[in-house]
Amino acid sequence: MVVRPVLRLPEPVLKRRAEPVLRVDDAARALALDLVDTMRASPACVGLAAPQIGVSLRAFVIDVSGHRKARSCHGEVVLLDPEVLVAQDPVHGREGCMSVPDLTGEVARATTLVVRGLTLEGEERVLRVDAFEARAVQHEIDHLDGLLFLDRVSSADAVFRRKVYRQERRLRE
Amino acid sequence: MAHFAVSAVGADRPGIVAAVTGVLVDQGCNLEDTSMSILRGHFAMMLLVAGPKGLAPATLEEELGGIAGRFDLVVAVRPIDEAVPASPSGEPWNVAVYGADRPGIVHQVASLLAEAEVNITDLTTRLIGEDGRPVYAMILEVTLPPGLDGDELSSRLETRARELGVECSVHPSEADIL
Repeated sequence: MVVRPVLRLPEPVLKRRAEPVLRVDDAARALALDLVDTMRASPACVGLAAPQIGVSLRAFVIDVSGHRKARSCHGEVVLLDPEVLVAQDPVHGREGCMSVPDLTGEVARATTLVVRGLTLEGEERVLRVDAFEARAVQHEIDHLDGLLFLDRVSSADAVFRRKVYRQERRLRE
Repeated sequence: MAHFAVSAVGADRPGIVAAVTGVLVDQGCNLEDTSMSILRGHFAMMLLVAGPKGLAPATLEEELGGIAGRFDLVVAVRPIDEAVPASPSGEPWNVAVYGADRPGIVHQVASLLAEAEVNITDLTTRLIGEDGRPVYAMILEVTLPPGLDGDELSSRLETRARELGVECSVHPSEADIL
């Protein structure tokens, strides 16, 4: 199990467009494992993208199991080279990010989403997600395009200082 | 390092931020947390800045005098404590209160919150609506003290809102960390 440090702003890799994975080899599988382990290491974290652990490749993991705002729930999902096919019905919601630990922001995200990508078995997978799972997927895909929630906040007064962060960190220690 | 609270208010026009921050940069100051917005047509800046030790607030205010005159700004500089005071921590909630304008809405709501030891961490009010039919809208972000839940706060606020003849709603503002 390898828990990697989660990179934070202003790490340049977070603002770079990540490269396609293309082929599922040992390196891709190892990356996926690190993503899962690193996500699991932070109880509040429901998703992580490869650039956040310093790897500029198009891969992410999410797991919204047990989240009160989730409707669709596919459990632990690792997706490579994801592509959005359908994004509909945007709704505003407050998001935070492990890579921007001190702030949160109001971001509009589609609540109906269809994405296609590669699984770790190298097969194509089409994922239909809604509500919170859709938000999580879009947040992670943004990371692959070098976008943070700060790039999407609805207005200058839609960014907030995160107040519970210190508490959470204490819990984790 | 010395810390200052710098405030500047004046009729809105392009160039105010560039002018004020230009003086601050020249004086070796760093902007830390700031809030700037248009309030009833006036651009209102509230800046917490760090400056070099030895820079007196009065000096900084004087240095800002030139652009204050040019942009017709009311400028004030006050020293503040270097240590960052801790805010009470607690569960964050959003409160919206709105309705026909009448005196005392903010005071009534804020007093209720203060009695319940609810801490206001952000508050924006706007006077909107048409002439002769003003509507007052207030959006607050608050943190609840231990032992008070959002539903309890909601029912207390609803009672107060009814007395004031305004609408109110309460919802959790906790962000999802993705």
